[in-house]
Amino acid sequence: MAVQQSSRQAPLKRGTRAEGTGTRWRDELIGWGFVAPFLVAYAIFLIYPVLRMFEMSFTYNSLVGAGGSQFLGLANYKELFSDPAFWSSLWHTALFTILSTPPLVIIALVFAMLTNRIRFAQWFFRFTFFAPFILPVSVAALIWIWLYQPGFGLISSYLGVIGLGNVGWLTDANVAMISIVIMTVWWTVGFNFVLYLAGLQEIPRELYDAAAVDGATPLAQTRWITIPLLKRTTILVLTLQILASLKVFDQIYIMTYGGPNFSTRPVIEYFYDQGFTNYRVGFASAVSAVFFFVILAASVAWFMYSNRREAA
Amino acid sequence: MAVETRNAAPDVQQKSPAVQEASMGGRRDKIGRVVAFVALLIMALIWLVPLAWAVDTSIKPESDTTAVPISWISSTFTLDAYKQIFAASSMLRWFFNSALTSVIVTAVVLVLASLAAYAFSRVPFRGRGVLFWVILAGLMIPPQMLIIPLFSEMQMFGFLNTYQGIILPQIASPLALFILKQFFDGIPQELEDSALVDGASRLRIYWQIWLPLARPAMAAVAIFTFVLSWNYFIWPLVVITSTDMMTIPLGLATVQSAYGIHYAQIMAAAVIGGLPLLIIFMFFQRQIVEGIANTGLKG
Amino acid sequence: MIGGGKQIVTFWNLFGGGDGARLGTMESKFRKGHPDLGLKSITLAWGAPYYTKLAMATVGGSPPDVAIMHISRKGSFAPAGLLEPLHPDELSRYGIGPDKYLPEVLDSAKYQGKIYAVPLDTHPFVQYYNVDVCKKAGLLDSNDKLKPLQGPDEIIKALKKAKEVTGAWGLSFYPSNDPSGNWRLFYSLYSQMGGKILSPDAKEVVLDQSKAEKALEFMANLTLDAKVLPASMDYGGSVATFQSGQAGFYWNGEWEVTTFQDAKMNFNMVPFPNVFGSHLAQADRHSFVIPKGVDPESKKRSLEFISSMLKNSLTWAKGGHIPAYQPVLDTRAYRSLKPQSNYASAAKDVVIDPVAWFSGSGSQLEIIASGIFQVVMAGQLSPTKGVNQFRNDLQKLVNTPKPI
Repeated sequence: MAVQQSSRQAPLKRGTRAEGTGTRWRDELIGWGFVAPFLVAYAIFLIYPVLRMFEMSFTYNSLVGAGGSQFLGLANYKELFSDPAFWSSLWHTALFTILSTPPLVIIALVFAMLTNRIRFAQWFFRFTFFAPFILPVSVAALIWIWLYQPGFGLISSYLGVIGLGNVGWLTDANVAMISIVIMTVWWTVGFNFVLYLAGLQEIPRELYDAAAVDGATPLAQTRWITIPLLKRTTILVLTLQILASLKVFDQIYIMTYGGPNFSTRPVIEYFYDQGFTNYRVGFASAVSAVFFFVILAASVAWFMYSNRREAA
Repeated sequence: MAVETRNAAPDVQQKSPAVQEASMGGRRDKIGRVVAFVALLIMALIWLVPLAWAVDTSIKPESDTTAVPISWISSTFTLDAYKQIFAASSMLRWFFNSALTSVIVTAVVLVLASLAAYAFSRVPFRGRGVLFWVILAGLMIPPQMLIIPLFSEMQMFGFLNTYQGIILPQIASPLALFILKQFFDGIPQELEDSALVDGASRLRIYWQIWLPLARPAMAAVAIFTFVLSWNYFIWPLVVITSTDMMTIPLGLATVQSAYGIHYAQIMAAAVIGGLPLLIIFMFFQRQIVEGIANTGLKG
Repeated sequence: MIGGGKQIVTFWNLFGGGDGARLGTMESKFRKGHPDLGLKSITLAWGAPYYTKLAMATVGGSPPDVAIMHISRKGSFAPAGLLEPLHPDELSRYGIGPDKYLPEVLDSAKYQGKIYAVPLDTHPFVQYYNVDVCKKAGLLDSNDKLKPLQGPDEIIKALKKAKEVTGAWGLSFYPSNDPSGNWRLFYSLYSQMGGKILSPDAKEVVLDQSKAEKALEFMANLTLDAKVLPASMDYGGSVATFQSGQAGFYWNGEWEVTTFQDAKMNFNMVPFPNVFGSHLAQADRHSFVIPKGVDPESKKRSLEFISSMLKNSLTWAKGGHIPAYQPVLDTRAYRSLKPQSNYASAAKDVVIDPVAWFSGSGSQLEIIASGIFQVVMAGQLSPTKGVNQFRNDLQKLVNTPKPI
């Protein structure tokens, strides 16, 4: 592989150069000094809110003050775990992740491989596939609400030919989630596509030539050269994609408001409904806290899995 | 996370055409390329249909938008919907708000993240490892879930419905820090050592050596920060309490309820809302794509 | 006043589109009449975020001087101590005393006997009809007015006739993905039978199984058996369908009247029909409230502002809302406002959402109910099961510790 792999740990051993306690102190000072501005902002706008969230999750905290911060112990958590609506919203988030991740990775990879193969108009395809990604979520959602419109919408008109004219894309509880996934694939596949394209351009042409000389078919080349060499890209794409999919909210909020009958409501909207519509901040904070641990667990599991695979 | 970096970027695209030509060869290869091209073309058309339909709807007279059967060609084409959108909404103001806040967010993120990334990558200070993990954990927190504590915080500062209110919660970006650190990690240590031996200060090294080297990574981070900030939805939804302070995504979402029934107007608003970034992207797409390729984000 | 520093009234509202424009007209009349006062009018998006922000701003000590509130929301605002009570004498001083409203209207502004809101309008669920379509369907009398329709069978029959004329649909409505639509229809029908949802203290669910089922069966009949309405229609689609003549009737709040006027279509409006024994229809009222914690001087300025707005609410009435302020309602100008005044009588025959912390415009109650009923109308849940699910979810809300 032509790409040089650097040591993952930057060489940082103290003592690689002459040093006295003075340098060491200076390093401490400089290190913390450089990190400080970021750290202050991070502490104020991330760590503190997270800690507040945990704190509030044990209280009766209401958005409108009354009841104050009466300590409730684990009551919020108990209520949360016994609410089927919470579990179903958690399931919708999982379902969205399960349904959206494979197409978002596979389609991106296929598009990237095809684009990498052709020799002209590459810019056009790069533009076309990436462009939707930079649209604001409300633009993408408004366009798709319009496309999905029953009766005079583009999709039902075209699919009417094959007898799918009467599908309630956003209004049938059995279909709505799939429609959201389709819209999301259109909207965000471009990001993964670009990552793959970058990864593909790192693979030296010579490898394919050598394989071709040995009589390997394009399919075999894909199987034995492209996919293995893209393993690291794939792991990265998957990681970012799963994290992004788990956080789904915006497009669902705009397109179905979690409907029909809550069949698409993701856990973040459950949180939003509890906290913002019902004013139950303490309870909503418990939702956040639980979901935070779900993501954390998923991340750790994925990290260990991908590390093992990489080592293999 | 599996991220590799590189030193002198070997740009595959810069290979001479002759080499590429020689290395391809074979009729089968040619057929393969044609097939790939045709397949891509079909997919690209599918990808463009939603955008084209939005533009098409926006230039129809309102009464034609709901005609059945649907048609791409309307009796007349008109810019009425655009005129009405500009007349009835604060679209220009929203553009300004979005541009201002996104530019500031991007600039501040770059400064904070690159300074910190440099320190994490190059300065051996105590607590570095733990601190980095604490910051990485931030990647896992859905920002939507912090809006309530953030709201009360902003209220405390008196920043509700202000630009500061929109900007501040976005300035600490773990993702930007992470990308830049990965990039710095890949730059050979010798560069810095020789400068240190020369007695240059860290700040000067950062400024004169690292920042110029990091330009491609900075560009990629800048672009993504800008896009994310421009498109940020839920936080402005909460912190902004007046029409004239709204950003584009927020304003557009309210357009639907205010003009719920005029599809030409909704699509015109969508087109206007999406256009600026599309134009920017059209001009800079090479840099964006190569920026990603150069950051080490590619895996 | 000393110096040139104007005293400012800050005013939060949630009106976009045409309502927003008419509000602007009324505001400029206020500005003209009160050169000594400044007005800062802030429009926020409708829905849950509006009330959330209003509540948070009030709790946080930075509320607007005056704000618009749906009267159905008083159950979450008044008991939480977020609103300033308004004394009748105080209101009378500004010409907006209790005698200026219908008793029903005034009652809805009270919570535990005290007035907390000044009603601006009533906006009921009504029936629009396409004059041309209904004429062809033989549903009009000799004056081209809709012959009164009564009872489920007669209404379904009329809708079917309209469907034959349009070749598309008989009725337009929005069963799909709307947080309030199905609730509005259901609550209208259910209340016509005299049904109640909650006990007056909101501590008990008193849903009447057979009445609720009857209402839901009628709704499901529209989409499933009679097929006069598609279950998949959403709000935008419903307006477009009626506007393009693809339906003879339209059930919605009166607020789309200007949309159809602008489209120059030949339509008329009447109160929601008597389906199950009365003309009751779901409605809500926009009202002005003064958040708790303002100083007495700014309260006076706010009342001045409210008074000016009410007195100019003929402008407001053009948008379809029935003015709450009786002196405006009695003017010849209002009575000659057509079709708006055709359903003015509906202001009395209305039901407002039950009073509870989880009810009211855009609330959890409306969202839950609309969601369940949507699935029933799509044929994916039987009316009986729909009522059961609704009852369970209601019970859950009732059991939830009050967050206010």
